[in-house]
Amino acid sequence: MILTWVYWAITVFVIVLVVRSLYREKSLREQFVAAMVLVPLLLRVLFIK
Amino acid sequence: MTVEWFWPEGFYTLVMVGVFALASFAFRQPIAVALAIAAIVGALISGNGVPVDHLIEGAFGYLDTILIIVCAMIFMKTVQHIGLMESAAAWMIRRFRVLPFRLTMGITALLMLPGMITGSSSAAVLTAGAIVTPTLLRLGVPPVKAAAAIALAAIYGMTAPPINIPAMIIGGGIDMPYVGFGIPLLICTVPLAIFTGMLLVYPSLKQSAAIGPGGEDKELEVELDRMARVRLTPRLMLPFLVLVVLLGGERLFPQIAPSLGMPLAFLLAAASGLLTGQKWNPMEAATEAVQAALPVAGILVGVGMFIQIMTLTGVRGFFVVSALALPAWLLYVGIATSLPLFGAVSAYGSATVLGVPFLLALLGRDEIVVGSALSLIAGLGDLMPPTALAGLFAAQVVGVKNYFKVLKVCLLPAVVTAAWGILIIIGADWF
Amino acid sequence: MFEKRYLASRFSATLLLLGAVAVAAISAHSYLRMHHPGPDVDRVVPREGFVHKRLSDYFQGLQDTPADTDVYVQEGEQPGGTLLVLGGTHANEPAGVVAAVVLLENADVKRGRLIIAPYANLMARTHTFPQDAHPQTFGFETSGGVRRTFRYGARTTNPVNEWPNPDIYIHPASGQTMAGVERSNLNRAHPGVADGGMTEQLAYGFMQLIKQEDVDLAIDLHEASPEYPVVDALVAHERAMELAAMVTMELEFEGIPIRLEPSPKNLRGLSHREWGDQTDVLAILMETCNASAGRFRGRTGEALVLTGEDKAYDKAAELGRLYVPWESWDKRIAERVGRHVTSVKLLAENLEFVRDDAGIVIEGLPAYTSLSEEGVGAYLRD
Ligand SMILES: [Zn+2]
Repeated sequence: MILTWVYWAITVFVIVLVVRSLYREKSLREQFVAAMVLVPLLLRVLFIK
Repeated sequence: MTVEWFWPEGFYTLVMVGVFALASFAFRQPIAVALAIAAIVGALISGNGVPVDHLIEGAFGYLDTILIIVCAMIFMKTVQHIGLMESAAAWMIRRFRVLPFRLTMGITALLMLPGMITGSSSAAVLTAGAIVTPTLLRLGVPPVKAAAAIALAAIYGMTAPPINIPAMIIGGGIDMPYVGFGIPLLICTVPLAIFTGMLLVYPSLKQSAAIGPGGEDKELEVELDRMARVRLTPRLMLPFLVLVVLLGGERLFPQIAPSLGMPLAFLLAAASGLLTGQKWNPMEAATEAVQAALPVAGILVGVGMFIQIMTLTGVRGFFVVSALALPAWLLYVGIATSLPLFGAVSAYGSATVLGVPFLLALLGRDEIVVGSALSLIAGLGDLMPPTALAGLFAAQVVGVKNYFKVLKVCLLPAVVTAAWGILIIIGADWF
Repeated sequence: MFEKRYLASRFSATLLLLGAVAVAAISAHSYLRMHHPGPDVDRVVPREGFVHKRLSDYFQGLQDTPADTDVYVQEGEQPGGTLLVLGGTHANEPAGVVAAVVLLENADVKRGRLIIAPYANLMARTHTFPQDAHPQTFGFETSGGVRRTFRYGARTTNPVNEWPNPDIYIHPASGQTMAGVERSNLNRAHPGVADGGMTEQLAYGFMQLIKQEDVDLAIDLHEASPEYPVVDALVAHERAMELAAMVTMELEFEGIPIRLEPSPKNLRGLSHREWGDQTDVLAILMETCNASAGRFRGRTGEALVLTGEDKAYDKAAELGRLYVPWESWDKRIAERVGRHVTSVKLLAENLEFVRDDAGIVIEGLPAYTSLSEEGVGAYLRD
């Protein structure tokens, strides 16, 4: 149970880093890849999927 | 192949693969995006519209893998930032330079170790691979050969015990517990690892050793001094020690060690870098790491979408049963070719989609041995573009721009690997 | 110039971020339907005589957790044995679930007691498994014209309730190591752990039920893929072997060929192994043939779930890759449910021959042929 929340925090941390990368990335194509990766991460931290 | 069998799933297959190739090669889209586009087109032409929920659900198949890759990368960037990597490489060159055979075996074992422990070839490339690279290049191994050696050793490491995830996936498909795989997996991997090391690494090291002791090479000495400017103290090695204890403990003594999972283990090990006394910016290192890991993470998301639509439309069944439809004498050829080829969407994907059916097709032989050999051959999928998790990372780590050059060097060892796997399947009952 | 480009990439980043949130919202809408499917989905109409309980009545720890599930008990006028039937241990094995519901809506217990948990692992019903492309629901029309809809779930507990899975799962009672995902698999978690993961707690709840209700015979209803060796089969704990062998013969006699398999002693965590080892219950697991979860399957959807018709399996059979002749297999869900219902009935009827005073008589159950001719809908209530 504790571990669930640890992994929740890790996932939030990764989301923050992915968003940060999204804003640093200059190429639209690579930005698109970052956005793709974001979707499942978001749904997991919201405990939807 | 009859028309009834081919239509429409064969047509969907061609369209999906065609769109993927077009998007990635002609329109220069990133592989992740090309896979997503191919999946969407596959859903559209099969009358499923744009099933957003299906597409995203497919991506969830690799959520845990994505977290592992991102966290492993954060660990690697940390090790780079604190100067541990260069320092360790310098030490290795100085210590073993004049003993080429031992150096070859030591490097090969080192390259395999993270893969053995994590069950992931990318983790092996990104950790040990990145560390050994400067050594290999400095000792005269051509970059392309170095990349190939790293990628192959990572795959053998992924296959070797104690942890082999494709074998777990394949065994899970027939409710076979992951027990008793140790010896068969060693037989699968150790001879190949020695062969590959001797083929790709040893000749250059031998030549380098023949030149004489390091003292004569002034340029190398300067370089080694620069690399070793941060002293290789136990304190500096703390992140590695933490990682080995956390991952190794969980794997070797699962009954007593806490089960943290690989992402947390990597992050804790990275965090211990704060205690090494070196100055570095953790947030910066972590962002760099995510930027480096995003292409692979994106590929996994795309692969997940692609497989989900393959399943939805029947393309997956078409693919699997077509492989099984090969005449009996061609079954082995089918295994040796389709498992690595399907690895284009990742070795895990290949083990899932094809590994289980092949094991079922071979039922009646020693299932553990057959499952081990299949996992070895499926592992080759990590060389297969466009995904090529092991290969692409190895090329990136070594600094080779064109991966196909690396793939060319990998070809002979890969064929030998597949042949070895098939031989083991044929001889499965002699064990 | 540089400024402009920088601003452009910031702008597109913001747009893409919003796009990612929008895509997440659209798919979330679909996934949340599985969490809250509405009152008409998975609705059951138990036959009069059943008393509604919850698994938490047997193990308090499950109260107000997502693992708690409905348990229905019917007691006949004559005393006799106690039979427990589990449906939906694996939520992606629809005939097991539907057979338990058909039992619940039709069983008229004359002797002994019948306990049914139709949705054994509710946490596996709130999601479909990645890359399996399963439909979220499937359904039947009753004779009254009412649509009865059921969720098609997954083999394992939703990661929302059990996350992260360990890399290696160590079965607590035996120390046996398994792939990490098995921690979320109810049929690897028996006999369960009171303070373990949610799935282990759920397994513990069923163990308490078996002990407290003094169950004589426990049946776990499953389905397996056509390429799997143990299909159209009855797997029995060694103490249940005699009963199982009797029923196998009777089933053959009724024209329902079935394989009899002993429960493997070295495969731990399974219901037929752990229930039988930990208590004196006679533990049996049954498998019918579910093409919709198979690895050779073609186009995946509700039609495949209900009919089992699949050209990829036709071809695989032609190639000799299946263990039983595909043509004569019970592929349609009506026959699969018929198999389960008939087997449960015969196991109950024969119980008294292996265990004194434990006779069970259940009336009102549809025969295999009736299900086959009229379909499942005819035996579900409005
Ligand atoms: Zn099952």
